[in-house]
Amino acid sequence: MSSLLLMAPALLLLLAVFVWPLLDYAWLSLQAQSVFTGLETVPVGAANWQRLLADGRFWQDAGQTLRFALVSVALELVAGLAIALLLHQRWRGRGTVRSLALLPWALPTTVMALGWRWIFNDPHGPLNGVVQSLGLATVPFLASPDLAWVATVVADVWKTTPFVALLLLAGLQMIPADLYEAFALEGGTPWQGLRRITLPLLRPYIFIAALFRLAQALGVFDLIAVLTGGGPASSTESLAVYAYLNAMRFLDFGYSATVMLGMFLLLLLGAAALLLWRRQAEVGA
Amino acid sequence: MRGGTRTALVALLLLWSLGPMLWQLYTSLRTPEALLAGAGGLAGGWTLANYGAVLGGDPPFWRYLLNSTVVGALSTLLTLALAIPCAYALSRRRGLLRLLVGGGLLAAAVFPYVLLFLALLQVARQLGLANSLLALCLPYAGLQLPLAVLLLQAAFAELPPELEESAVLEGFSLWQRLRWILLPLMGPAVVSTGLLVFLFSWNEFPIALTWISRSELLTLAPAMARIAGSSVYTVPYGAFAAATVLGSVPLLALLLLFQRQIVAGLTQGAIKG
Repeated sequence: MSSLLLMAPALLLLLAVFVWPLLDYAWLSLQAQSVFTGLETVPVGAANWQRLLADGRFWQDAGQTLRFALVSVALELVAGLAIALLLHQRWRGRGTVRSLALLPWALPTTVMALGWRWIFNDPHGPLNGVVQSLGLATVPFLASPDLAWVATVVADVWKTTPFVALLLLAGLQMIPADLYEAFALEGGTPWQGLRRITLPLLRPYIFIAALFRLAQALGVFDLIAVLTGGGPASSTESLAVYAYLNAMRFLDFGYSATVMLGMFLLLLLGAAALLLWRRQAEVGA
Repeated sequence: MRGGTRTALVALLLLWSLGPMLWQLYTSLRTPEALLAGAGGLAGGWTLANYGAVLGGDPPFWRYLLNSTVVGALSTLLTLALAIPCAYALSRRRGLLRLLVGGGLLAAAVFPYVLLFLALLQVARQLGLANSLLALCLPYAGLQLPLAVLLLQAAFAELPPELEESAVLEGFSLWQRLRWILLPLMGPAVVSTGLLVFLFSWNEFPIALTWISRSELLTLAPAMARIAGSSVYTVPYGAFAAATVLGSVPLLALLLLFQRQIVAGLTQGAIKG
């Protein structure tokens, strides 16, 4: 009984912050509330949802968000594993390097996004400085729809790989060293050791890192808002940025709520598919 | 791995992690003419004027750092005050409730919270919470509670139950047991959880962006975005860079001081989650 009392304040705040907004959106998505209604709410039935289904920009952004998340997280897992393996070995100065390598993750995203905007600047940024010194024409990294999304991926990989590396490092520290010694005695090479011991035992950690990072990357907002603003021509726009623009720039609150709820439903669907796939993989194994 | 290869790899890692920030440091110390003349030059054109411009702005840049620090510290205290009792109670329970609350907390911890900003903004408007640094701590505490409770309840679960049982026999009340027996042993977990909450609140963007409009109340993240969007700063990149350097220094200090605790916090989460 008293334990419920101890949990009550925290649970109440959690309900207010996580559950209330979703209920609010469910109601708001059935209303029109925009400059056309004088910001009053007017019930419109399923009109917002019909608009969502036919909204090319929503589905384009959904595709772009998924592409951003999958490519970023895949690169982060590979780079994170390499860094974790390096930081797991014993050498002098390892502690300092660990904290320095963590810096990108600790910085506010808006701070580093501003920094990357300067690095990608055309023509004065350092990257184009290198390009020019090779005698080539400068590259419009942030002004070309084909390159701008790659720039957002690079900035995201830079920022969040340390987080992945740290989680995987925790996993590496759980693997007993004598496993490797026994494996080496039987003539296994380090590369085989990585594939037969490290990766299988690291699987739960890789799963957790991928789960956290995928969820964060699918909700990407800060980075894109500052680095590209969603441009050029909405080619880097994520669903979160689109929902934000609908509310704060187009002042269309009813539709913004619909976009956010739509995105939430897509995430649920994705999570369900992932769980199902994982269960089947376990049964199959 | 041979020593030489490893040294090269470590150098590569440091170059990748620190390079972009070092480039900001370099840019922040160059005059606009030197920057336009060509990137990478070292001769002439060094200046501190960019820092003068940023620190002498209206409001001065240190104001944003101060606001972020206040919000970070208060949010951390509020989160811990709510999370510690909840984590204790959760760690002492078995059965369905624990399963439900634990699962809900995990789902909330991975939820992309940016989705919540519009509803939270409406609440803020209705209750008159906009443009208040104190009020900003409420959503921050709520958003960080899931992770904080999960980390802390794992730490509570590690304490031997005999400890508390003997305290009960001695006639200690619940509050006395928490205050004098359990919490002193929880020091490291509380510190590392607190640091993660502080980092989140210091860096948070979408909610601060929509709740705060008065420029002297901006925290660091929306202030940076505003600088990025203002035409005043578009040509003199030196001022941009000076702002990013000033915004990074406090966190670099925090990392160097508390590297161990931050790493412990993150890795505990991985092991227990």
